[in-house]
Amino acid sequence: MDPSHSRPADAPADAMPAPALAAAGGQAGGVTPGAGSDPSPPIDAASLARALEAVVGPRGVLRRRSELAVYTADGLPGYRKFPSLAVFPANRAQLIDVVLVLAEHGAPFVPRGAGTGLSGGALADDVVLVGLNRLHRVLSLDPENAVAVVEPGVVNAALTRAAAPFGLYYAPDPSSQAACTIGGNVAENAGGPHCLKYGVTLNHVLGVTAVLSDGEVVTLGPGASGAESAGYDLLGAFVGSEGCFGVALDVTVKLTRAPQAVRTLLADFMSMDDAARATSAIIACGILPAALEMMDGPTIRAVEASIYAAGYPADAEAVLLAEVDGLAAGLDTDAGTIARICTAHGARTVRIASDPADRARLWQGRKKAFGAMGRVSSHLVVQDAVIPRTQLPAVLARIRDIATRHRVTVCNVFHAGDGNLHPNIGYNAYDADESARVDLAMREIMRICVDAGGTITGEHGVGLDKIGYMELIFSPSSLAAQCRLREVFDPERRMNPGKVVPVHSCREWSRRPS
Amino acid sequence: MVTPPVVTAPSEAWAPQTAIGVQDAVREAIATRAAIRIAGGGSWLDAGRPVAPDARVLRLDTLRGITQYTPGDLTLTARAGTPLREIAEATAAEGQWLALDAFATSDDGGSIGATIATASAGPLAYALGLPRDIALGVEVVTGDGEIIRAGGRVVKNVAGYDLTRLMTGAWGTLGVITEVSVRLRARPEVDRTLALARAGPAESAADVAAGLRTAAMAPLAAELLNPALAARLGVTATGSPVLLLRLGGNAERVASEQMEAGKLGDGAVIDTDVWRALRQCERYSPGAVVVRWSQLPSLVANTWRHAVECCAGSPEALIHASLERGVVRAIIPAADTAALARVLHPEDRPSGGPVFVGRRIAERLPARLWSAEPAPGTTDRLARRVRMAFDPWHVLNPGILGEGARDAADRHGGSP
Ligand SMILES: Cc1cc2nc3c(=O)[nH]c(=O)nc-3n(C[C@H](O)[C@H](O)[C@H](O)COP(=O)(O)OP(=O)(O)OC[C@H]3O[C@@H](n4cnc5c(N)ncnc54)[C@H](O)[C@@H]3O)c2cc1C
Repeated sequence: MDPSHSRPADAPADAMPAPALAAAGGQAGGVTPGAGSDPSPPIDAASLARALEAVVGPRGVLRRRSELAVYTADGLPGYRKFPSLAVFPANRAQLIDVVLVLAEHGAPFVPRGAGTGLSGGALADDVVLVGLNRLHRVLSLDPENAVAVVEPGVVNAALTRAAAPFGLYYAPDPSSQAACTIGGNVAENAGGPHCLKYGVTLNHVLGVTAVLSDGEVVTLGPGASGAESAGYDLLGAFVGSEGCFGVALDVTVKLTRAPQAVRTLLADFMSMDDAARATSAIIACGILPAALEMMDGPTIRAVEASIYAAGYPADAEAVLLAEVDGLAAGLDTDAGTIARICTAHGARTVRIASDPADRARLWQGRKKAFGAMGRVSSHLVVQDAVIPRTQLPAVLARIRDIATRHRVTVCNVFHAGDGNLHPNIGYNAYDADESARVDLAMREIMRICVDAGGTITGEHGVGLDKIGYMELIFSPSSLAAQCRLREVFDPERRMNPGKVVPVHSCREWSRRPS
Repeated sequence: MVTPPVVTAPSEAWAPQTAIGVQDAVREAIATRAAIRIAGGGSWLDAGRPVAPDARVLRLDTLRGITQYTPGDLTLTARAGTPLREIAEATAAEGQWLALDAFATSDDGGSIGATIATASAGPLAYALGLPRDIALGVEVVTGDGEIIRAGGRVVKNVAGYDLTRLMTGAWGTLGVITEVSVRLRARPEVDRTLALARAGPAESAADVAAGLRTAAMAPLAAELLNPALAARLGVTATGSPVLLLRLGGNAERVASEQMEAGKLGDGAVIDTDVWRALRQCERYSPGAVVVRWSQLPSLVANTWRHAVECCAGSPEALIHASLERGVVRAIIPAADTAALARVLHPEDRPSGGPVFVGRRIAERLPARLWSAEPAPGTTDRLARRVRMAFDPWHVLNPGILGEGARDAADRHGGSP
């Protein structure tokens, strides 16, 4: 993960800025009881710690503030939240027992994978963090049916490595795949460049066994049985629930057969507008590329100035990275069609990767773009929003205007084929004036994405970071309905409290007639 | 909340034209403790299940029309009662399609709302996705009379908890879907269908399933038909099973896949319209029982054999398999009671074949037989809590999930 992310523009006042965190949380003595409950005496952290140690052993529980510091942030470190304890079960049985102990104590808790999340999801003040990284076994792999069952702490890329000998791989490929976990991917419904053709995490998860906050273990979805699902799609509801519905104990995923052939193209443009129009034309032409990614001039230059230099033309205002894969027959024709569309829309050059090494290099620039940007400025807001694809040229132009007006530099690096924007702003968080301008610019950008018919997050989740935007896209009754669903799984709202849906929307729901 | 007397006499159907009209109907039902029977196109109203006899029909065919379609976005939004045919026509004009090809008895392919509500899938599902993969967002009137929206119109969206997935396949028991947004696909440059005659015994599908898995092709659909169905669809005269393959892509790719298909059987290119005929094959057998079985795709040959054996002695039974998904479906004339008994009570069947261990789902049964069918996973604690959260008075389609008398009692009995 990238250490340079920093304060998101719309952080609630109590969550920022990072340097002023001291008083924010963690008088290490108290755990606040579950959100829904009446004020009741704070939980005795010492007795809770003892009970947890009895399950996982003394080395599986962290209590000292210095040890907990690592777990106060995720990939968006502007949010600092101090847990009162962190517990690391070594196996499934311990994990279930941990959740039972937490239930007995009425203690709120937050599951945590690799902590690469970009929405402030895996952190909260005065909670117990349940670290899942020790549950990292691939439990089974059925090559014939292309299905694997994995523990939640299995790293995304490790799953693909385990599947590779069978000519299979795990398709969802967040740029953080070398670090992020399948449990975290399920919780965020993570995406990635190749989700354009292959779909996001939701489309690749066949089952989840989860432990609910009261300790009940439930099986969601057909799992490895291969049978059709029947009944309510509670699996679909669980995917993307951001650690608020239950802790995934194991996840059954669909694997994908490695394509016979792959073609990767790089087209460079002298205007973002041309690149955006080329994107729309490619999507409309009937070919579904495996990936279609765009980077703008500032991003290209940041990448090319870094150790991740990928050979992008440094004077270009935009590059498109397109990939087609599948059967070898006809693939060059599709690649040729895409190249022609790019040229027709003003591409200066279109280059097709000559060999796997060349291809890997083109991709490295894209996958490490956040890192490269981090080298240019001390802090970086990574933003995530989705717009209808035909709106790309108009919205990108408006983002440019907003950036000019607020004197900030926006770097756009994003999943163009899906309309999933990542307008990122590098800045110095210690400069109050600049921070305020970044803040205003980000709010305006989110607003225009919503106005264009889009949404506030395509893959990073709501967490803490987007909670203030939820009312831009959902009515009070829609938010209340989301709370209802959450309370089906976690009636006390003890899991990952204060995330996703604003608390007052949930109160709305409590006035239900009876 | 007032508690007026229970209404039992069937009343005139509601026929709302807006979501607010639907909301009014649901609120009226709550106030009068009436049950609502949601009717989309009406082609598969209740699958023959015995449902609350006093239910008042809520028609959604009056709630229709495409509300938003920007071809370049490859997304479309339509009111729930919009027939799939209307969407097919609008999108075909732009070289696009909605890849939802559920089996239906009606000419217009059923309504978009009902297709999402029942999560009905057809032969294209393996390659192009199930309804849960295709739905982007919904507008719903929940069982407590609130109008809510979930998801959106864009192809990627993780804002909030996923009520779109929850409503997809809930059979209207959590809310009345009033509008749906879906992902479209560009139509492939070439869309070619092959019918491959299969030599060998009808009950054996092992070689074709294995051949398909290793072939250098990625068909849009691969459906095995038993001889009776192949004859019905007019794709063979030889009395052998037939593999229908639908290939899509650019000309070069399809040509290469067609060559590859030659390894699977002797074939001919046939009219793509065969897929429409297949989707409506229930029509040949009015009142028939429809069942499907599923288990691991690698075991689809066993599943096929099980289906064929169950239907032995029922020459009119139509059987087909979505090989890549491992799903086998049979349409059995209601008069063939022996076959029916074997389907419903496989344990009583003396058979040399492998025991079927997957899931059997009844799509349509005579009312008297439903009681023996297990409710599809809606009786466990979580599912019951979901129902209580979204339809606390059980006004929406009570009984349709086989939850039966108990929920009807809840509804009349009083407080949620
Ligand atoms: C450089 C960089 C690039 C990235 N690129 C992408 C990208 O391309 N696409 C994308 O979608 N995301 C991307 N991300 C975001 C992030 O990697 C994903 O959200 C990822 O899924 C988080 O996984 P994690 O294991 O780090 O989860 P964490 O950050 O530890 O947790 C995320 C959420 O999941 C919950 N959670 C974790 N494990 C479980 C479990 N077992 N059961 C229940 N809940 C659980 C947590 O409570 C939290 O709410 C990127 C991040 C970085 C830093």
